[in-house]
Amino acid sequence: MIENVPDWAVLISAVTAVYAALRAVFERNTLRKLPYVNVMNFAVAGVIVLFLPHPLTLAVAGAYFIGSTLETNAIASSISKLEGDR
Amino acid sequence: MIPELAYITIAAAITLTLFVVLDIIWKLPKEGGVSGADVISREIAAAGGDRHGGWMMGNIVTSPDASAGTLLAACGYYIGDHVCSIGILGGAAAAVLVFTGARICADKGYVGTSGTFAATAVIWALATFANFPPASFIAGMVIAILIVQGSSHILASRAIGNLWRKVQ
Repeated sequence: MIENVPDWAVLISAVTAVYAALRAVFERNTLRKLPYVNVMNFAVAGVIVLFLPHPLTLAVAGAYFIGSTLETNAIASSISKLEGDR
Repeated sequence: MIPELAYITIAAAITLTLFVVLDIIWKLPKEGGVSGADVISREIAAAGGDRHGGWMMGNIVTSPDASAGTLLAACGYYIGDHVCSIGILGGAAAAVLVFTGARICADKGYVGTSGTFAATAVIWALATFANFPPASFIAGMVIAILIVQGSSHILASRAIGNLWRKVQ
């Protein structure tokens, strides 16, 4: 029974990643895209770990997740700075 | 016999409660921690959402907070459990990752690190005593963050803002 759980978990995470990516694409406002991108990052990090349960995978998922958080942080703070300069 | 989806649904409810409570304890809806969180909050408020809820959503987006801590704790616990049957080791490794990541994102790192430890403890307790599979917490956390960040910005920010004003 428990062996089947990763399959459902992978399916839910993967579908969430695609849904969040589509929402991000169809949202017009750049800053309001970022929460959807954040959901996609969570889901993709989850899928990476669920597919490859290996000690190095934790470092991979962590690097992906933290790197993408840093990117969204950079996008948002750049927009904030540009508006401040105007 | 609890079916797999029930485990994931219960895990989603538990992780959602855990990270919202921790974020509110650490006062994430009070203000934007970095300038990026502030502009995200302003855009959400401009679309008809709540400023305080927007600040919390902006803070979640721009630096690893308790929600990121919960996700990486679940990932670490799953891998630790799979590799050497000691999930807590993976949770500890995840705490190091979250703290480093928060420091890189110009955050103090207390929210994410405390979230990782709290989530590791909760997952350990439920996996040991209630027979929850650790993978259900990864999917549960993905559903929880989808509810807060990916469903409706207006409704989610209003709900968080109301919760914040009640707690204050």
